[in-house]
Amino acid sequence: MKSSGAKYDIFTKLALLLVVVIVGFLIVLPLANILVYSTQPSGSAIVTGAFSDIVTREIIWNTLKLGVAVAFLGTVLGFIMAYTQARVEFRGKKIFHIINLVPIISPPFAFATAIIVLFGRSGMITRGIFDWRPTLYGFPGLVLVLTLSFFPIAYMNLLGMLRSLDPALDEAGSSLGANKWRVFRTVTLPLLIPGFAGSFLLLFIESIADLANPIIIGGNYTVLASRAYMAINGDYDISLAAGYSSLLLLPALIVFLIQRYWAQKKSVVSVTGKPSGRPTLVTSRFAKSFLLTVTTLLTSLIILVYATVILGAFVQIIGVNNEFTLSHFQYLLGGFANAAIKTTTFLALIATPIAGIFGMLIAWLVIRKVKRGSEALDFMGMLGIAVPGTVIGIGYAITYNDPVKIGGVTIFPQVAGGAAILGGSIAIIMVYVIRSSPAGQRSGIAQLQQIDPAIEEASASLGASGGKTFRLITLPLISGAFLSGLMYAFAHSMTTLSPIIFLVTPDTSILTQKILAEADQGRYGNVFALCCILIVLIMVIGGLINLFVRRTQVSVDRPMVAGR
Amino acid sequence: MSSKTGSLRVERLTKEFGNGKEKVVAVHKLSLTINPGEFVTLLGPSGCGKTTALRMIAGFETPTSGEVLLDGENLVSMTPDKRPMGMVFQSYALFPHMTVFDNVAYGLRIKKMSSAEIKSAVAEVLESMSLSHLANRAPNQLSGGQQQRVALARAMVVRPKVLLFDEPLSNLDAKLRAQMRIEIRNIQRRLGITSIFVTHDQDEAMSLSDRIVVMRNAVVEQVGNPDEVYRRPASVFVADFIGRSNFLKVEGAKKARSGKASVVVGGVELEVAAQEDALTSKHPVLLVRPESISVTASKSAKPGKSEGVVSNVVFYGNHVEYTLNTDEGVILAVVSDPIYEEIVPVGRVAKYSFDEDRAWLLPSESEQATKEDQE
Repeated sequence: MKSSGAKYDIFTKLALLLVVVIVGFLIVLPLANILVYSTQPSGSAIVTGAFSDIVTREIIWNTLKLGVAVAFLGTVLGFIMAYTQARVEFRGKKIFHIINLVPIISPPFAFATAIIVLFGRSGMITRGIFDWRPTLYGFPGLVLVLTLSFFPIAYMNLLGMLRSLDPALDEAGSSLGANKWRVFRTVTLPLLIPGFAGSFLLLFIESIADLANPIIIGGNYTVLASRAYMAINGDYDISLAAGYSSLLLLPALIVFLIQRYWAQKKSVVSVTGKPSGRPTLVTSRFAKSFLLTVTTLLTSLIILVYATVILGAFVQIIGVNNEFTLSHFQYLLGGFANAAIKTTTFLALIATPIAGIFGMLIAWLVIRKVKRGSEALDFMGMLGIAVPGTVIGIGYAITYNDPVKIGGVTIFPQVAGGAAILGGSIAIIMVYVIRSSPAGQRSGIAQLQQIDPAIEEASASLGASGGKTFRLITLPLISGAFLSGLMYAFAHSMTTLSPIIFLVTPDTSILTQKILAEADQGRYGNVFALCCILIVLIMVIGGLINLFVRRTQVSVDRPMVAGR
Repeated sequence: MSSKTGSLRVERLTKEFGNGKEKVVAVHKLSLTINPGEFVTLLGPSGCGKTTALRMIAGFETPTSGEVLLDGENLVSMTPDKRPMGMVFQSYALFPHMTVFDNVAYGLRIKKMSSAEIKSAVAEVLESMSLSHLANRAPNQLSGGQQQRVALARAMVVRPKVLLFDEPLSNLDAKLRAQMRIEIRNIQRRLGITSIFVTHDQDEAMSLSDRIVVMRNAVVEQVGNPDEVYRRPASVFVADFIGRSNFLKVEGAKKARSGKASVVVGGVELEVAAQEDALTSKHPVLLVRPESISVTASKSAKPGKSEGVVSNVVFYGNHVEYTLNTDEGVILAVVSDPIYEEIVPVGRVAKYSFDEDRAWLLPSESEQATKEDQE
């Protein structure tokens, strides 16, 4: 639908230039440096020994095994939850839905630490109730925690697909004589295959990229991300870290590409926009009780985890000494975490609008303006989320701990590390921006595709320049996507950890890094209290952003359906 | 409004998409001169290039080659917002986040007119289109016809030199469409704005236009006023696309002394007007419109000269439609204001006749196609 053939106006050219420069410095250059450094001796030894060296091979195998296990379990759980939500009638459906989404913006470690407290060797439930002392550290604990943390991605993905399935398809199946189970098997499931594939791949990327949980609950189970982290924090060998990063980068990028450009194109779900009926509900008693049981168990588990986090913040040592106390908060707010709270919120607040506008700009260029290479541009914008955070953090540390020079001329100042300008906070903002703009980009693209391009053409034909049209017409029309992009950017920046660990300096202490330090020391009371502080900050400030944006925007909650 | 400005010239306008083997020619060397105040329609089946042509004139597509000149000034390198043209879109493209008033005022605000001027200009145009009472409504609170009128008001209020219409009526129901046709034509005449209208609906083209440009497969088949394209179509394609047609087999086509063509149809010798290539064609056909043919009952049991067997009859009240099987091919005849008792029933033999002045000799379709390919 884009105007194939019209020349780019100045505004478009400038926007394109801006995007290329930002993407170049915020992600491409750090990645390029990872590859460069991994060719140095200790890094290249890792890369070339990927299949021959026993230790490296095991780390790779551990990483892939974890990715596949979490991706499989998470997709299955996500589907059961989504199917129950879409096709079973029961009380409290909305609440279940919201609870299922909570883990998406959960602070790191909340799950890992709460699961240890509940189900670990001296867990409140495992030992307290069943007198069982399982070993959580390692593969089983990681799978459990990561599945709980990431299944909502599959849930959202599949729920969206289930809802856009034309109910008439199911009805056609039944009217041709198939019973409900047969319709489910022969119509619903096949139509969802791209959704399963997409969810599986997304979960795979998320789990191999995760760093926080392997540090806390991984035990001796080493994965690439935690090994790269150790290379920086134990071996102090940048090239070694770059080597492991390269090994992690490769599968992550390949899987991401498959997910974006293959799995999504395979999607056969017909989005007609006009559901022609109501979806057929599950009525079989057996199926219904199975679905509801799984859903209730999982949702209860999430509630249990959060209850543990909140309770644990207000008692001495949860499960051991359940006496009410405010000492954790007193300690944290009495000086230990004050700077971190201020700095984290401040930096996230700076990054949020930049990430939001940047995401919208890329979305607009991809959908409306760029003809050839729009997929490449889309991919460049998504790099920040496709590349594991650990890799980005190490890439930043390599690239920005010194000024970037070309032929002796500084083209980019030193922005990371304690000696950098503003105590290294610029690098952290840059990471926040590049990590969280892809969410806005996706929602912006989704919303733009719903808007008839003729609306923007009408503005041009009435004499408005490209920039004016973007400001007066496009931005107000995609303000819903913009808002959700902002909310995500803020929440994600506040909770992001893996790239940040490599960039914190004495001047820029970050909340998630404080949580890591406390979890490492086993001071779970402080971890829980910090998680509570983080959650409250996200809810309060997120709510304020919501109010502020809604107030300044024109009301555009009306549906805009393309006329043709 | 003076109608001195707004003369549009399109010179060998061409648009190609893709490269090499996948190259698709959307518009091929379209040349056209449109006079100030004239209403011209681009008519053709979907995919004929009419919308692409319009979008090149508007500036939304860059031509592969060719020129667009408005009052002598070449517009090709000008972006759409700089061109003094207004466009009415198929989907109306009203700004959903603005009221009717703000939609119409949009172009004036871009022109940086004072708010008092804007207010009176918008009020005037809303008044003229009976939209005043809807000024504060949002577009989604309007009916299709109202949205259409707002879109038209929004395009007109900036006083463009040329108005472009991209199938603006195709989303309306039949009754509203007919009404909007009249409304558009009246407003356009009153303001004297040069207009280009794209449609695939022949009724729209016939009823609105000063001239019709019939397009097919990226090229212009014919340019002419509504009577010319209907009575004197340049090709079988045009005849077939506009209105309903009978193409009768003819024999012994030759030039008559009068300058017309002499042909034998069903054993009867006729002198008919002919398209220029018709007499050099191996198998010319004779176009006779169904309403030009009259049908009467024949007494004979077997069809003779100018007779055929009735294979179908449909009675519509105000007219009756016959399908006759004849030696000259299947003939469709529309007889208006029929007397019910005189209708010839199915299976009976009927005599058909037509006035030779209402017929038009054309070269056959396949010959024209090969001629074009050679060019």
